[in-house]
Amino acid sequence: MLQFLFRRLLWFAITLFSVVTISFFLMRAVRGGPFDNERALHPAIEANLEARYHLDWPVWKQYLQYVGPFNLDHEGLVLFGGDNSNVFGGVLTGDLGPSFKLRDYTVNDIIGQSLPISIALGSVAMAIALTLGLTAGIVSALRRGTALDLGMRLFATVGIALPNFVIAAFLIIIFAFQLELLPVAGWGSPRYLPLPALALGAPFAAYIARLTRTGMLEVLSADYIRTARAKGLPEWLVLLRHAIKGGILPVVSYLGPATAGILTGSLVIERMFAIPGTGSHFVGSALNRDYTLAMGVTILYTVLVYGLNTLVDLAYTLLDPRIELENS
Amino acid sequence: MSRPLLEVTDLHKHFPVGHKGIWGEPAGYLHAVDGVSFAVERGQSLGLVGESGCGKSTTARAVVGLHPATSGSIRYEGNELVGLSRRRMLPYRRKMQMIFQDPYASLDPRQTVGSILTEPLRIHRTVKPRQRRLRALALLDAVGLNPRQVNRYPHEFSGGQRQRIGIARALALEPDLIICDEPVSALDVSIQAQILNLLADLQERFGLAYLFIAHDLAVVRHLCQRVAVMYLGRIVEIADRDELFENPRHPYTKALLSAIPVADPVVERARRRIVLEGDVPSPFNPPSGCSFHPRCHLRGEVEGERCSTEQPHLTALAGAGRREASCHLVQLEEARVPVGG
Amino acid sequence: MASKHKEAAGYDSGSGRFDLDAGQLQALLNEAKRFKGESLWQDAWRRLGRNRGAWWSLVFLTLFVGLSFFAPVLPLPSPMALDPQSEPQPPFLPWEASPRLPENLPPGRSFEFGTGATSSLGAFADNAWRHRTFLDFQLRAEWLPGDPPPGGDELRDLVKAASGRSSAVFVKDGDEPGTVIERHAVPLRDGDRARVEYRPTGFDGTAQVLVVGRDAGAREAWVDFEVDLDRGALESYEVRTSGDGIELVYTLGDEGDQLRDRRYLAEVRGADGITVTRLRIDGERVPLSWSVDGGADPAGLDGQTDAADDLVAALESADQIDLQHLSELQVVSQDGERSIVVRRQAVPAIGQEGHNHADLARAVRAEIASRGSRAALLEMSHLDGIWDLNPLDRALVWVRTKVFGLWQTGPLLGTDNKGRDLLARIVWGSRISIQVSLVATLCSLLIGVTYGAFSGLVGGRTDNLMMRIVDVLYSVPFIFVVIFLITLINEYRTDLADYGIGYMTVFYVVIGAIYWLTMARVVRGQVLSLKNQEFVEAARVLGASTPRILFVHLVPNVLSIVIVYLTLTIPAVMLFEAFLSFLGLGVEPPKVSWGLLAVDGTEAISAVKTFWWVVVFPAMAMGSTLLALNILGDGLRDALDPKLRGKD
Repeated sequence: MLQFLFRRLLWFAITLFSVVTISFFLMRAVRGGPFDNERALHPAIEANLEARYHLDWPVWKQYLQYVGPFNLDHEGLVLFGGDNSNVFGGVLTGDLGPSFKLRDYTVNDIIGQSLPISIALGSVAMAIALTLGLTAGIVSALRRGTALDLGMRLFATVGIALPNFVIAAFLIIIFAFQLELLPVAGWGSPRYLPLPALALGAPFAAYIARLTRTGMLEVLSADYIRTARAKGLPEWLVLLRHAIKGGILPVVSYLGPATAGILTGSLVIERMFAIPGTGSHFVGSALNRDYTLAMGVTILYTVLVYGLNTLVDLAYTLLDPRIELENS
Repeated sequence: MSRPLLEVTDLHKHFPVGHKGIWGEPAGYLHAVDGVSFAVERGQSLGLVGESGCGKSTTARAVVGLHPATSGSIRYEGNELVGLSRRRMLPYRRKMQMIFQDPYASLDPRQTVGSILTEPLRIHRTVKPRQRRLRALALLDAVGLNPRQVNRYPHEFSGGQRQRIGIARALALEPDLIICDEPVSALDVSIQAQILNLLADLQERFGLAYLFIAHDLAVVRHLCQRVAVMYLGRIVEIADRDELFENPRHPYTKALLSAIPVADPVVERARRRIVLEGDVPSPFNPPSGCSFHPRCHLRGEVEGERCSTEQPHLTALAGAGRREASCHLVQLEEARVPVGG
Repeated sequence: MASKHKEAAGYDSGSGRFDLDAGQLQALLNEAKRFKGESLWQDAWRRLGRNRGAWWSLVFLTLFVGLSFFAPVLPLPSPMALDPQSEPQPPFLPWEASPRLPENLPPGRSFEFGTGATSSLGAFADNAWRHRTFLDFQLRAEWLPGDPPPGGDELRDLVKAASGRSSAVFVKDGDEPGTVIERHAVPLRDGDRARVEYRPTGFDGTAQVLVVGRDAGAREAWVDFEVDLDRGALESYEVRTSGDGIELVYTLGDEGDQLRDRRYLAEVRGADGITVTRLRIDGERVPLSWSVDGGADPAGLDGQTDAADDLVAALESADQIDLQHLSELQVVSQDGERSIVVRRQAVPAIGQEGHNHADLARAVRAEIASRGSRAALLEMSHLDGIWDLNPLDRALVWVRTKVFGLWQTGPLLGTDNKGRDLLARIVWGSRISIQVSLVATLCSLLIGVTYGAFSGLVGGRTDNLMMRIVDVLYSVPFIFVVIFLITLINEYRTDLADYGIGYMTVFYVVIGAIYWLTMARVVRGQVLSLKNQEFVEAARVLGASTPRILFVHLVPNVLSIVIVYLTLTIPAVMLFEAFLSFLGLGVEPPKVSWGLLAVDGTEAISAVKTFWWVVVFPAMAMGSTLLALNILGDGLRDALDPKLRGKD
């Protein structure tokens, strides 16, 4: 267990290092600074700006400054001694640097404001996906071959095929304009949450329903279920105690990709519903060439996805003792 | 006597196992074959028997070059095969072919029987292109299949039929030696007999020599003139068939033969069976001395710690049947009994 | 002894040592033709045929792909063209008489189709097309040394005579060294309001101006805007308007520093709401183009239209500089015998007059002939009417004109909020989406199969390391990295374009680069298991070379699973393309793809009135295609997956 976690941590460090390094150098390789976009600046102002963001330094020094708490003075890297006036926080200390476009904001500020929103949206979407998906999948498996099953499968297939922004459009038409139940877009009160969360979670609900149905069908035809029934256990107990645990295993292993998918989907959904979450900031930063912000969010989401995947793997071994961590 | 068709001397095959650290050296070596020597005469067949994991298949694969030998020598008509490049090996492959164990896995599922059978001809170019297809038909006929089925695919045949196709492929180059790697163990018993009879027929007809790997003693007894018994990567006893089956000398051979049930219930009930204790030791960490000693029912007969410290060597024994065995006890007995007595 | 026996028996003949003689064998071989077996492919095909969902999906996809492939042949309105109407029109029912159908064309007028942009057919046939579409064509003129060079006034007159409008001229170096291309841009009519944003591309010498069109039917168009900082400099400039004209006064200086302040490029504001918006400074030459700002009051637009025409007239008379400089430029190559001038001129397409650019081309040719000029019309193409068509599509357009003439359907599925025909947009959008997904999937196939096969074949530590890399990449939230990459690549667009690498190419590669991971894993696993199969060992025992084993035994066996994953990758890539385009990072207008259609759909949703067709029809096209691909993929997996095939 500890060894597994340690190995995961090691690979995580390698992954993160590659992401940070490659994107940093790609970012710096781009010709023209981040301020070229605007009207020509007075040379003095430009120099000031470059100095403020350390763009006048050599690239390796900028990299060290971005990565971590190194003592950098005019000479270069100071490993020992010297005062601490030139120590800059970096990615290693959790400091993702200033935003190039939203002046006076650091990337950390922006993420700090927007991440709770994204997490709220994402977790509600995940909850919706799990509730809808598991219920539909189990019901579908139990009522196999009926019209209910057929209808749910059809819904699931369509849900997988349609992109979430199309689903969102339909939801807005129906709930916001036709029924006038919920606001079209925005953020601020719980009333704003259902539509985007549903749109975000729907494709995953569909996929989870499909996985659950397949898993349940497989388990329900297994010998140990027949044994449980044969010894006279009531059907609901068979289901609760024996079938569900085995049947939802594939869903557990899907949770990792689903989390990543929901984070990805939030880019579109947040933009569509004008939700000021991390995703819409990320897209904005990509369109506005705010590299530090884009990179900061990329790093953040790498950490998030990696951490959640590790958690899912751990949960999986708890549910299925046959899986060994070392081989995962 | 001319020199043997195939002569294997002190063959070793070690597989690296595991690794230390991420890119470190292998943690150890598995001694799958550990000093095996035998010879196959032209037109004769040698059976190689033993429990699963004793290295008999590895030996066969080393002979045809599927697993390059770690050390030792494999000579075909006196020519060394170990260390030959693919190209230099080609002429010997023409004379030495192999039949595989699993008829379901040994035929490419996407090729017709015709292309499977003509592939050796295409590689070696021994038959003119226009004649190759005809050769495939002749081969099918020779192994007792309907030649009209040449355009079918392996999955349209039964296991026995597929094994016949495998035999036909081995025959395509008209070799002198065929290495049979448990060719019947994956088949139903009724089919086994057919295939064995086919192999016997072919041997007679084309003067083939077989190196026949099996774990079934009856199969070997049916087909082979000479039998070698392997245990943990070593040959423990090798002798002509009748000698070995009538009068086994090595305790392991004795134990193996005693496991064969006798069809007569009266005899069967009265028969004393030698039951080996314990499991086969891991070849990764073989026992010291005689590798059979932890399970040997006769190890008390040799005084001292000799069985567990000193490794016996394969030595020729007196008597008929060109018998060799590697056992301290047998060698002691041999020393006690006067030669020719 | 045995070997002698072989030779005696004819070792290289078919019968060899075996029982049957050649005649019997030949007879059997002939008979065997009637006993053909069923290969695994045929078997899979049969299984697929039994799976009705997969079968119909295949039929649907074939039809749909075929439809979108033959889009240029279909008599659909232009997917690009702008309609001033700002409200989406509902689906048009064929039995309703529609005023939108072409009716203004001179009947029976035959025309020669010169170049091949589909939109032109619809665009110019339809009375409603009043927007500004630029036609861009090159004129090539030849003359003998000593003759006065043609061009300048002459070509300009030609264009004016042909199009009924005056044009302003851009000069640009041609593709071949020493050639010059002129582009005559013609003023926008109809009281266009333009807002100009200035966006430098970040490297010396070139600037771009973004012209955002007027509010009604707003759209974006990029206009090249080139500044050469090294050659001379513009010191000052001034636009003066007087009662009956407008003057541009400028001074050329040598102080390059002045040009670093690029702001002046963005706007040159004149009086009376007239703004000269497009100014190109190229060394000592200052050609101009302009658009007109009609001010905030729509009612004032008519007046401004006149002002625009006045502006044209004024510039024509006032800025002699324009033509002077141009005429100096026209001699592009002189080899002693003759000189060649390549000019490029843009003229407006004028719907009311029933022009299409084939007509224009003919008019220009006729004009050239009547003047006895030696200029020759080289080519004409749309400037911003529709994206460039490749030769195949042009051929298809030619077929369309032969079959349907100028006839086109009404808006069968309605129009979107820019008046564009929805059906045409869906068909053309599917075309791009399908193209993107196919090419990107092929990219992923190429990378994945090579990587996986190599890893599986080599095995050992290399395999271990390569798979570790895949694991690492798997755990990166790739879409973020890709978006980040696309952002960065945007910076290099013009550079890449210089090397002939379009944005779409980059896009394909980037998408392909994400989706290869699964493919690599699958192929590697498959190769690894096949590598130790007995039939591969059998081939090695037979002495087969590694390439032979690879191509004869491994590839056909890996192929089926590759096909399965391919069918499952395509919808994933399609979704991803739609996703990126939706965010504005993928396919870009004026091209259209499903993602952009979805953007239009979301824009069409409003509380006042829901233009359901703008949302529903694209969603249906997208959904049904993706659904069909998913079903087909599942069906193929059932039919091809060797795991389901028992050992029987």
